[in-house]
Amino acid sequence: MTAHVSDDVLLDLALGEGAASERAHAGSCEACARRVEEARSAVALAQRAEVPEPSPLYWQALRRGVGQRIAEDGQKARRFAILAPLAAAAALTAVLVAAPGLFKKSRVEPGLAAWSALPAEDEDDDLRVLEGMALSGNDLAEWDRTEGLGVYLANLTDDESQVLAEGLRAHGQGGKS
Amino acid sequence: MTSVALAFPPGLASSAVPRSGAELEREAERDAIAASKRGEREAFDVLVERYQRPIYRLCYRYVNNHEDANDLAQEVFLKAWRAIGRFRGESAFSTWLYRIAVNACLNFRARSRPEARELDEALVDPRPGAEWQVVREDDASRVRAAVGRLPDKQRATLILKLFHDLTHEEVAGILGSSVGTVKANLFHALANLRREMTGARQVRS
Repeated sequence: MTAHVSDDVLLDLALGEGAASERAHAGSCEACARRVEEARSAVALAQRAEVPEPSPLYWQALRRGVGQRIAEDGQKARRFAILAPLAAAAALTAVLVAAPGLFKKSRVEPGLAAWSALPAEDEDDDLRVLEGMALSGNDLAEWDRTEGLGVYLANLTDDESQVLAEGLRAHGQGGKS
Repeated sequence: MTSVALAFPPGLASSAVPRSGAELEREAERDAIAASKRGEREAFDVLVERYQRPIYRLCYRYVNNHEDANDLAQEVFLKAWRAIGRFRGESAFSTWLYRIAVNACLNFRARSRPEARELDEALVDPRPGAEWQVVREDDASRVRAAVGRLPDKQRATLILKLFHDLTHEEVAGILGSSVGTVKANLFHALANLRREMTGARQVRS
């Protein structure tokens, strides 16, 4: 081997590695031997950066610290598992409240009106009578609500019937009493 | 290779093949890893006990003080615990753990960057003729500080190779680079370190 050693080989030799042929060359070549020795001194310099040895009790404290961190991490993970669905639901609620227009189009109109035993408001003659009574003020006998409206009307005097009829006309609902 | 006498239960001793201490250690580590994956904390403690010293020392070389090194070492093991389920055994456990540690150290360094005056990569003098003159009166703390000012890749390479006695291949595996890159970074790290320690005074052949 006549060529001088490369940087890679120089490092290997400085670290006590390298092939036998390379070591042989460095041993016989003054220039390479000097470079290897210089590299070794740089390695030795770096190795002076010793780390101060902590107290023997420290390692136990380190393991305890790791254990605590793992335990705390587990608690956080469990809290997250519980709170995450709640947070998601809260976020969804906030979206629904803040942006009602987003879902307007998707609202389904009912195909049939809800059924009721009561007549529709505009077809309820009883309501008209009651409105007429209200407009007639104190000129009508008091309605005993335990009886039906029909019984009340049947018991009205002629004058009272007249007053009620005027009340209904005033309300624009006359002719249907 | 030294064999270890094991206390097998009666009836098993004759069929057992003596195994070396290293084999037993590897087997114990495999068992501890498998149990840790199942969530067994005691098993993970075995791994922490085994690697706490090199991980602490690696962290110390990055942060140069005990408090931060302690904090970082704990963080490394916490990250390892979180991620151990994803450890597939494609590399050695030590390689996987060192990788977590180096990343944690680099992140720490990035967070506290203003303090560090990093050397310029351009300072490297890769010429084969450059000398490695050193100043003998340096103490460990000055050298550590100089190591701390090396560029990230050079620093990681130097620390892993020189202080943790890893092979070039292992360092390459940890840093995710090639062996050639590891060697180049180590060469440059040593050249930079020498330059840093000798100041402007540099003797050339």
